[in-house]
Amino acid sequence: MYEKNPLSPHLQIYKWHLSMILSITHRIIGVVNSVAIILICLWTISLPFGEENYEIIKILFQSFFGKLLITSLSWSFSFHILSEIRHLIWDLGYGFDLKIAKITGVITIIGSLVLTVLIYILGNFFI
Amino acid sequence: MHHSTKKWLVIKFSSIILIPLMFWFIVNLASIYDESYIEIVNFFAKNSSKALYSLFLIAAFSFFSLTISEVFEDYIDNEKIKNVATKMLYVFAIIMPLITISSILNLN
Repeated sequence: MYEKNPLSPHLQIYKWHLSMILSITHRIIGVVNSVAIILICLWTISLPFGEENYEIIKILFQSFFGKLLITSLSWSFSFHILSEIRHLIWDLGYGFDLKIAKITGVITIIGSLVLTVLIYILGNFFI
Repeated sequence: MHHSTKKWLVIKFSSIILIPLMFWFIVNLASIYDESYIEIVNFFAKNSSKALYSLFLIAAFSFFSLTISEVFEDYIDNEKIKNVATKMLYVFAIIMPLITISSILNLN
């Protein structure tokens, strides 16, 4: 009986709403960011092997795909940062009201796009 | 303290540390990713970068391994497979940052 416990969440049963979409997206983005950080680790591990071995990675990063990759990563990091702050606010006992939860959800989505632009500006013009 | 409470506290503690470090890292990554090899090595060779990047990796792997183990908890029905997957995840989350940090520490 114990092993037959239902697994959550029941995506096919409940009507989709913003908090549900954000919760699922938070999990998926968490996994995506984990994979991205593993790739970043492999990138930094490759550095001590010298400049010649780095050429392929450099060509990739300087291509359109490389720029798209970094922009996507900036958004996924931004989304995860804001969504995690939302979860921390919930952990403190605030923001459970349905209206507030919707507002913070919208802030997370729009904020992640704004933060992505901010990261681009900071990374390219201020550092 | 219950095991689950400890796990929850570690997740929350690592997420609080991770948030500013994620921001620091992604801003710097956006700044250097298409630079020359020398520029990238110079960035990682700085003591401040070594320290912050190491902290970022430790916090990130702690956070992600614990949260992904929660995903395993929710989606893997078979207890044996779940335990093996979780243990492999934890071992990987220790080895990967260790190798990365040691390779960065050797950069001058």
